[in-house]
Amino acid sequence: MRSQRVWEVADIALAIRTENLTKIYDVGWGRQNMGIHNLSLEVEEGQVFGLAGPNGSGKTTTLKLLLGLIFPTSGTAEVLGESISSTSYKARVGYLPEGPYFYEHLNAPELLRMYGTLFGLGGPPLEKRIQELLELVDMWDRREYRVANYSRGMRQRVGVAQALINDPDLLFFDEPTSGLDPIGAKDIREVILELRDRGKTVFLCSHLLKEMEPICDNIVILARGELITRGSIEELLKSDEAQYRVEVREIDDATLATLTERAQKLMWLDDTCRALFDDRAQAFEAATMLEDAGARLLTVGPDRRTLEEVFIEAVGEESTDATDLQSG
Amino acid sequence: MRPIFRVAKATYYEGWRKRFLNGILVFAILIIGSSWVFTYLQPGAELKMLIDVGLGSIRFFGMLIAVFLGTRLIPDEIEKRTIYTLLSKPVTRTQFLLGKYLGGLATVISNVALMGATFYVVFALKAPQFATMTEETGSQYSMEFMYGNIAKAIVLTFFELAIVMGIAVVASVVFSWILAAIFTFFVYFVGQMSEFFGALADPDQTASPVARIVLGTIYRILPHFEVFDVREAILTDVPVVWFPYVTMTVGMAVVYVSIVLALGYLFFSQREV
Repeated sequence: MRSQRVWEVADIALAIRTENLTKIYDVGWGRQNMGIHNLSLEVEEGQVFGLAGPNGSGKTTTLKLLLGLIFPTSGTAEVLGESISSTSYKARVGYLPEGPYFYEHLNAPELLRMYGTLFGLGGPPLEKRIQELLELVDMWDRREYRVANYSRGMRQRVGVAQALINDPDLLFFDEPTSGLDPIGAKDIREVILELRDRGKTVFLCSHLLKEMEPICDNIVILARGELITRGSIEELLKSDEAQYRVEVREIDDATLATLTERAQKLMWLDDTCRALFDDRAQAFEAATMLEDAGARLLTVGPDRRTLEEVFIEAVGEESTDATDLQSG
Repeated sequence: MRPIFRVAKATYYEGWRKRFLNGILVFAILIIGSSWVFTYLQPGAELKMLIDVGLGSIRFFGMLIAVFLGTRLIPDEIEKRTIYTLLSKPVTRTQFLLGKYLGGLATVISNVALMGATFYVVFALKAPQFATMTEETGSQYSMEFMYGNIAKAIVLTFFELAIVMGIAVVASVVFSWILAAIFTFFVYFVGQMSEFFGALADPDQTASPVARIVLGTIYRILPHFEVFDVREAILTDVPVVWFPYVTMTVGMAVVYVSIVLALGYLFFSQREV
């Protein structure tokens, strides 16, 4: 059993734990930039954990700290039970950086062979693994292409393959669908869900909230290096008002007037009319009335916020630039 | 050892893809290949011209390659972000640094070997002419002996470049690559005159004790690059013997490189990428 459960917090094993992790960048001339500030996280094993935030919010800084690429100014962090100052936990970790770059003289199998040997892999098992992974990311037919000739999407696919070469227990994905077409992005999401089903932990950084929503179990939203909100997807998306929602388009004035009378709240989102009802029966009655009137019914169901709405609410209209600190 | 070898191998092949280095190599081979032309510029000293131009070119262009390759090895990894996928694997910073250095050094060896082979061909073509000339001038040059001395000169050049490469790699960890290149050139050229600094540190030469301490420190810290240049010895028939001269010089280079790389580790272990 490769997975080594080290912390047990209320019978839950943690893959990542940070405590007041802070990173302040010295940018010269006495100026400092806040990367992240007092970040405390607990990521359970076997889940897809999302780290969301606008550009400059500290997502990549957090990833780099957890991988030992940069060093914390203060605070502590442990990955798979080991301090981030160690190297040995990296044998059980996979990492896909944002916009990955590789040695351009190599083709995909050579690249994966190079990374595989860094984990002590070799021989027929490694060759088999390389073929499986290249088939998984749909690069087997293009395996002879040199990295120098890759499109962004091809780099991303091979990047995913290299992150999986050691069959890691914990995967760090930084904007994994960046540069991929919709089919490629869907493939990657499926890979992530399959990894979770196999008990792996996935730490996902992205600003593409629509992509995170269906696959993340828990999420943290960062802004300007600070943790703004956290929780499970269910908790975050649950509407405070506990209402039912009907969304409709192409509605005539008379039907709209009737809907306005029946609904507790009515709002327009571009050309979509959203009506909120206190209970389920009222919502379904209104939906039947709308269909009979020939309107185009889009959704009927519990009023559930989108992650995007949660994000905008949490981050607000604040500047998305990293905080600029003036040192004493 | 495997991570070091893997990083070194990737570095070696990436080194060959750097066009400006290929340009330096092609130019160097053209100069060395046409070094026989220079022999006509100084009648009576053809052998000296050939040795000076040929071996001098190997040293000079080898130094350019070592500086420009060495100062770009780690900054390129950081700029192109290839370092992220390497250091996020079970590769220590020491292994990474050593892999980059050894891969770069392998590229330099290959370049020096190509330049050396070119020079050997030119020398072999001109050797019969020198043999005739030595008979006429009564010189004692032995052509067979000369081939061995040229090989020793090339071996010493290689170890000299190993030091240059080490300084370049470590300087690039501390400074920007341009500053690192300037620093390495400075050390290289001042290192050619280390004996001069040693002589100046003598109380007979310099009265001021402070100046003597400064000069003495420079003499002790700087690599003594002039000991790797045996062209004068070859031309004056001073034997360049494997033991103790070549082995002692090579040993000094190995010790110097080890110290430089240990310093490099101290800097690189604190470097954020």
